[in-house]
Amino acid sequence: MSIESINGCIGCEECIKSCPTDVIRLNPTTKKAEIVYQEDCQICHLCRMYCPVDAITISPEKSIPVIVSWG
Amino acid sequence: MKESTNNLSRRKFIALAGGAASFAAIAAMGLPTDWALNTTKVDVDSLSFDKIKTDVLVIGGGMAGLFAAVKAHDAGAKVLMVSKGRLGASGQTPFAKGIFTYDPKKEKLSIDEFAQAVSRSALGTNNPAYTKQLAEHSLDRVNELKQWGFFDSSLYNKSFSKPINDRNIPLQERVVITHLIKENNKIVGAAGFSLDSEKIIFYEAKSVILCTGAGGFKPNGFPICDLTHDGTIMAYNIGAKVTGKEWNDGHPAKSENAAACYDGWGDMFEKKPETTSVEIRHDLGVDMNYTAYINGGAAQMGPPGMGKQENIVVGGPYRPEEFNNAGGHQGGKKEGEKRPPRKEGKGGPPGMGGSVVGGSSAGMSIHKAEGIVPINDQCESNISGLFAAGDALGSYMAGAIYTQIGSSLAGSAVQGAVAGEAAAKYSKTVKTASISSSKIKEIKEEILAPLKRDAGYSAAWVTQTLQGIMIPNFIIYIKKENLLKGALAYVEELRDHHLPTLRAKNFHELRLVHETANMIVTAEMKLKASIMRTESRCSHYRIDYPEVDYENWNVWINIFKGEDGTMQFEKQPFNTWPI
Repeated sequence: MSIESINGCIGCEECIKSCPTDVIRLNPTTKKAEIVYQEDCQICHLCRMYCPVDAITISPEKSIPVIVSWG
Repeated sequence: MKESTNNLSRRKFIALAGGAASFAAIAAMGLPTDWALNTTKVDVDSLSFDKIKTDVLVIGGGMAGLFAAVKAHDAGAKVLMVSKGRLGASGQTPFAKGIFTYDPKKEKLSIDEFAQAVSRSALGTNNPAYTKQLAEHSLDRVNELKQWGFFDSSLYNKSFSKPINDRNIPLQERVVITHLIKENNKIVGAAGFSLDSEKIIFYEAKSVILCTGAGGFKPNGFPICDLTHDGTIMAYNIGAKVTGKEWNDGHPAKSENAAACYDGWGDMFEKKPETTSVEIRHDLGVDMNYTAYINGGAAQMGPPGMGKQENIVVGGPYRPEEFNNAGGHQGGKKEGEKRPPRKEGKGGPPGMGGSVVGGSSAGMSIHKAEGIVPINDQCESNISGLFAAGDALGSYMAGAIYTQIGSSLAGSAVQGAVAGEAAAKYSKTVKTASISSSKIKEIKEEILAPLKRDAGYSAAWVTQTLQGIMIPNFIIYIKKENLLKGALAYVEELRDHHLPTLRAKNFHELRLVHETANMIVTAEMKLKASIMRTESRCSHYRIDYPEVDYENWNVWINIFKGEDGTMQFEKQPFNTWPI
C-alpha cells in the first residue's frame, strides 16, 4: 500500500513539503495532511522521517502491485 | 448510426478530441463520459501569473543548487532559488550519504595522479579538467557543509536552510519549471507553475543555473521518481547541446518488495552522511544485467559493495584488470562493513527481503556524465547566460562510469559553487533581462494546454507504456541495433501521437504531463545515441559491438536541436571543448 495512513497529524505540513512526488496534500477543511496521490508514492520514507510526531505508517508494497521479471 | 465505444476508431477519437466536439457532444452520442475525458475543474482562463526579477535564477534544491545559490550571492548577485520539491529533500541528494573529500595532507596520490587513475578506470571518457576540479575544491566545500551542520543529521533540510536563511536568499519550493526562455540568443529567464498556489510564474533572470539533476524512466526501487531530465530537455529545447545519453547506471534492487526504495537501501536513508577518501573503482551495473540476460531470469548478486558475485558468466562488459572489484556501489558504506541490525518500529519497514538483483535504476544516467555540454571548466553552456552544475551538467567529471565513491555528492557541491560564481560574474555584464509579452502568451499556452484538452491520454498510462519499452534489460543494457530501432519506433509513436494529447485535470497531473514529455524526448535521445555508438565501453554495452573501439570512438556524443527541429548528433573528441 506504500504510504498507508496518517494518524495524529498536527498540520505542520512537513510531510507535504518533504514528499518528492507530491503524494500528500493539506485538507483545507480539517487542516491536516491527507494521502491524495498514493499511486505516486516511491516508498522513500522522507515523509515519515520528517514527521515530528511519528504519525505516518508505510508498508513496502506499491498500491498497484509490481510484476517483476524474477517474480 | 449510433457508434458504440468499441468501434470508435482511434482516428475518429482524435478528431473528436481535438476538434469542435466537446464533452457535451461526446456525451450526447451516448458514449461513456469517463473514458479518456478530461474532468478538470480548473478554470484555466482565470488563472493569474506572477513575474519576478532576479540576477541569477538557481533551479533545483539539491547539493548543486545549494552551493550555486550561496556562491552566486556571495559574489554579489541577487539570487532566487526555485525547486520542484523541498530544499535538501528532493532529487537524489537526500539519499546520498557519502561525500568525497580530497585532503592533500592525507592522500598518497597527487591530484594529477588521481585524475590519471580515474581516466584509466573510465577508459578515457572523463574530462580531466572537471576531475581535477573535484579534487581541488572538495575539502573546502565539505568544511562549509560541516559549519552548516550537514554531518549532524540524516535529514538535510535544516543544514541546507542555514546558509540560505543567513543570506536571506529567496526560496520558492514546489514550483515546477517547464521552460527556459531565450531572447536574442541570450537567456532571459524561465517559467513554470506552483503546485500550491496554482499560478504560472515567470522569472526574468540575467542568468540561469540548472541544478535539476538528471533522471531515469521512473523505475521501481530507486528514489528518482521526481527526476525526469527536466533541465536537460528544457535546455535542449532552446538550443543547448546535451551529452551522455548512451550511458546507463545500474543499481541493484531487492527481489522482495522491489519497488520499495527505502527497503532496498536498508538503513542507509536513516544514516548521517560521512566523508569518503580516494577509492577509485569501475562500478559497472550493466554487468548484473548481462548475467541475468545470459543466465535467464534474475541475477543473484552478493550484497552491494561486498565484492562478491554469484552466477558469474564469461564475457560481457569489459572491466579493466586494475579495477576488477566487482560489486555495486553505495554512498558512504565502506568495503566489508556490515549493516547494523534493522530497528523495527511504527511505520518502519519489515526488513530487507530476498536476494539482490540488477536493474532497479533502469535508464538512469551516470552521475555527471549526462546533461548540458560545458564549453569550459566554468559550467557554462553554449547559450549565453545558461549554466549547469551537478548531475544536470555533462561534465564527465568521473567518466562514463561511477569511478570515485562519494564523488556524486562532492561533485555537485564543487560544480554548484563554480557555476554560482561564474553566473554572478556573467550577470554583471548584462544590463537587464526581460521576457516579451508575446513569449509570455506563447509559454502560458504551452504550460496550460494539457488542462485545456477535452480528452486525451493520462500521463500515468503513457509513462507506464514508456517504461515497458525502455526498462527491459534487452533494450537499455544489453543493446543491439535491431531492438534499439524497434524500441525507437515505439518511442517515436509516443512522441508524435501521445505527447501532444496528454491531458491533466489538476496541477499534480500537469506536473506529471510535463515530466512524461521530458522522459519521452530523453528516450529518443538515449536510443539514438546508443545506436550511434558502435562499440562497448564503460556503462554502454552493445552485444553486437562488444569491444572497446579506441580508434573510432574516443569521442563524446553531443545532441542538439537542428534548425528544422529534428534531433542532431555530433562527435566531440575526448579532452576537447565544443567548437
